[in-house]
Amino acid sequence: MLIIVLRRLLQAVMVLLFVALISFLIFRYVGNPVESLLGQEATVAQRAALEEALGLKDPIYEQYADFVLRALQFDFGNSYRGALPVAELIALRLPATLELAMTSAIFAVIFGVITGIYTAINRGGFIANLILSTSLVGVSLPTFLIGVLLIWVFSVELNWLPSFGRGEVVELGWWTTGFLTASGVKSLILPSITLGLYQMTLIMRLTRAEMLEVLRQDYIRLAVALGQSKRQVYFFHALPNILIPVITITGLQLGSVIAFAIITETVFQWPGVGLLFINAVYFVDIPVMSAYLLLVGFAFVVINLVVDLLYLLIDPRLRDGQLKRGAD
Amino acid sequence: MHWFLQSDFFYSFRNAPVAVASFFVFAVIILAAVFANFIAPNNPFDPASLNLMNGFTPPLQSNEFTGDVFLLGADDQGRDLFSTILYGLRISLFVGIMAVMLAMVMGVVLGLIAGYLGGWLDTFIMRFADIQMTFPSILVAMLIYGVAKGVLPPDLRYEMSIAVLIISIGLSEWVPFARTVRGLTLVEKEKEYITAAKMIGLRKSQIMSRHILPNVLGPVLVIATITFALAIIAEATLSFLGVGVPTTKPSLGTLIRIGQDFLFSGEWWILLFPALTLLALALSINLFGDWLRDTLNPKLK
Amino acid sequence: MSGNREMVAPLLEISRLSVVLDKRHQRFKAVDDLSFRVFPGEILGLVGESGAGKSMTGCAILGLIEPPLSISSGEITFDGVRIDQDASSIRGSKISMIFQDPLVSLNPLRKIGDQLVEVIRTHINISKAEAFGRAKTLLAEVGIDPGRINAYPHTFSGGMRQRVVIALALAPEPALIIADEPTTALDVSVQAQILDLLKRLCRERGTSIILITHDMGVISETTDRVAVLYAGRLAEIGKTSAVLKNPRHPYTKGLVAATPRIDANSFEKRLFQIPGAMPDLENIPKGCAFHPRCDFASTQCQKQQPPLFEDRSACWLSNEGSETS
Ligand SMILES: Nc1ncnc2c1ncn2[C@@H]1O[C@H](COP(=O)(O)OP(=O)(O)OP(=O)(O)O)[C@@H](O)[C@H]1O
Ligand code: SF4
Ligand SMILES: [Mg+2]
Repeated sequence: MLIIVLRRLLQAVMVLLFVALISFLIFRYVGNPVESLLGQEATVAQRAALEEALGLKDPIYEQYADFVLRALQFDFGNSYRGALPVAELIALRLPATLELAMTSAIFAVIFGVITGIYTAINRGGFIANLILSTSLVGVSLPTFLIGVLLIWVFSVELNWLPSFGRGEVVELGWWTTGFLTASGVKSLILPSITLGLYQMTLIMRLTRAEMLEVLRQDYIRLAVALGQSKRQVYFFHALPNILIPVITITGLQLGSVIAFAIITETVFQWPGVGLLFINAVYFVDIPVMSAYLLLVGFAFVVINLVVDLLYLLIDPRLRDGQLKRGAD
Repeated sequence: MHWFLQSDFFYSFRNAPVAVASFFVFAVIILAAVFANFIAPNNPFDPASLNLMNGFTPPLQSNEFTGDVFLLGADDQGRDLFSTILYGLRISLFVGIMAVMLAMVMGVVLGLIAGYLGGWLDTFIMRFADIQMTFPSILVAMLIYGVAKGVLPPDLRYEMSIAVLIISIGLSEWVPFARTVRGLTLVEKEKEYITAAKMIGLRKSQIMSRHILPNVLGPVLVIATITFALAIIAEATLSFLGVGVPTTKPSLGTLIRIGQDFLFSGEWWILLFPALTLLALALSINLFGDWLRDTLNPKLK
Repeated sequence: MSGNREMVAPLLEISRLSVVLDKRHQRFKAVDDLSFRVFPGEILGLVGESGAGKSMTGCAILGLIEPPLSISSGEITFDGVRIDQDASSIRGSKISMIFQDPLVSLNPLRKIGDQLVEVIRTHINISKAEAFGRAKTLLAEVGIDPGRINAYPHTFSGGMRQRVVIALALAPEPALIIADEPTTALDVSVQAQILDLLKRLCRERGTSIILITHDMGVISETTDRVAVLYAGRLAEIGKTSAVLKNPRHPYTKGLVAATPRIDANSFEKRLFQIPGAMPDLENIPKGCAFHPRCDFASTQCQKQQPPLFEDRSACWLSNEGSETS
């Protein structure tokens, strides 16, 4: 058990170092580190001094090590625009993105699992088929289009919900939250649905497929033959078994949720990290892009790790190191 | 042609109404885009043909100043929306096709190499693929787009937008091709005819291109269809976000972005028609791709 | 003996049961006009080649037949109550079932104790703690250390898992257990142990068993009576000893002859094999379904389906006076 955990940790660190390498290469060779630190108005002397100080003449692996060390202390250099430290920009906007991502993930899981189970149990039923065909349209719709259409209906036509921004936020230390005000909560609704809808469809289809698969298993047949009720079969026997793949996918989707937040944040002018990133791409603000890559890479790796560890917790076979996961 | 009409493939196509319908919709869209310059009443990319006075003309109503009538209305700059959509479709399809080609060529070549040669090259390619796959491709595409723009000298950035876009989307979608091709290559290379080919002294590159490649093309085509839908959505998304095609040559995504700006002032048609077109396009490719996948290759599911 | 049995009311009575498969516009009979009875406390063997409809019969009894299959006619009566329309009242509680493969018969993510408790509490109204106690007793009875009640299935061997499955099947204290090839997936060395266990526990409780198998050796060692199925029809039925010693239906003869026997002089004989294969559902021949493979087939056999003669054998030959061989 411990060995498995350690091995996974090591893998995670390797992946992170690789992501950091790419991030470093972008920072160092696509961007201009001196400019990013000093801003564009620096004098030639200042530049030369800094180049020396930054060790831009050092061997590349030393520079890389240096980059990683500084990243570990949240030092990502300065944004080209406004010359603010990138770390500060990100910290300012992180709560918005995390709150959005969390809300939509929870929305996606709850509705995805419920509709997935429903459509599996009532296979062929009218409502089940309706949900399924709607979901097909849902997967084909690009995220941004969903957002725009929601704005059209709920903000423009019905005027029920705000179409941009976070509403009023409350400061809790360095964190800002929209959960505590009515306008904050209202503002969360449309972006969360937009962001979560795709994942919800995925989770639903997965839950359904897994449920159908599990219901074909012999232990389910045995349970039925031994007279157990539908409720027992679904919840005692089937649910734990579909939970594993559903947790994996949901977990892995969390990463995508953070990434797709870029789109949703743009549609709703949501002041999060995604909007920061897309503006960075637009203005070719390399330090911000490089830091964002690191941040998202970190998020992905941590999420994958947590998912794997959760797997170990849920599946006793894995805990004993008896089975290997197919994906590895 | 006759053998095709008699084939199982065509038979199952005829018997799948969804596949027929989606293929039909897709074909209409493609034809409309290809023949845009014959169908479209005017060329929206030609600034000379535009009249700003025509801005915001609603569909099928005549403009109060110029008296012009537009089938689907006009956008903020007085461009005929119908023509703009047709020309925008062209760009979307072009970017989509080119990006898929790039992804396909790259994925197939790397997959063949990884599968056939094996060794550290295989490990390296597949590890890289694994890591790339942990990130959603749209994010990878954005990053590549940003980096590519950073590498380009500022005065070229605007002109090269479309090329940069194609490269970004292409590079973000090669992994599924490589994985499938590698898997199939591993199976194929154990077969006897490959051993025979080795015995008669064919070079590795010859074996790969003449013997293995033809055997992996079927699944590759299926992936290509699905990737095509993804690429079109990616293009629309990037353009919507303002990091795609230039606004002077709007694609569907750009049009939707413009449409969103005018929602609150009531010019709904600027949003609706491009959105419907994109939806029809994405949905028809997806449905057709699903059917193709189920029919040609049940294993891919 | 048979007179004696008439006096006891049968526990389960299947009369003229047919299960059909609906495929496009055609209907195929997977179980065809099948009748037999199971008496309290007896072990009835159901034997036949793969596809004979053995499992289907078992599923029909428990009401587990699902479209495209359905029961088209016939009655199933348990303890005097019709159950062919709705078997939910007896499923698990009065009749339980054991499937072939113990490796997949247990939920991998649930402790065996929890699975036992779940089944017990479905049918017997007792507290969780009491159910746990019962589960432990059951485990001990099937030869598993009750201390392992909180273990997961994957920590047991195949044989041990089948013991757990037997405990599950016995848990609701049913009057009849349908065991569908309970030992086919197990090592030969374990097979006998499991069969002995099942037999012993059922004898102790007076539980009847329908033992489905295609192994005549298992039939001879375990069952009291045997029903031979061929292409969904009953070929022969009777006391195991009588049927094995003196099979009347040519198919049964073939099955008996094909059984390896460990006695001194059988080593020299080549093992007999019935030529040909059983027809599948869609190509069941007219007349006696066995006629294409039967050495004794006559023109009558090709045209007319034989009824069951003397409650024993469905073969035209049985009609021409008892043929002794
Ligand atoms: N769901 C189904 N759809 C169509 N045919 C079926 C279905 N289930 C069973 N059959 C057919 O019904 C016949 C009887 O099947 P059954 O499972 O009862 O055989 P069996 O005697 O138990 O064989 P085995 O020894 O292989 O378990 C077979 O020909 C089988 O192919
Ligand atoms: S009825 Fe005829 S074909 Fe059938 S088993 Fe008897 S002799 Fe053979
Ligand atoms: Mg069977």
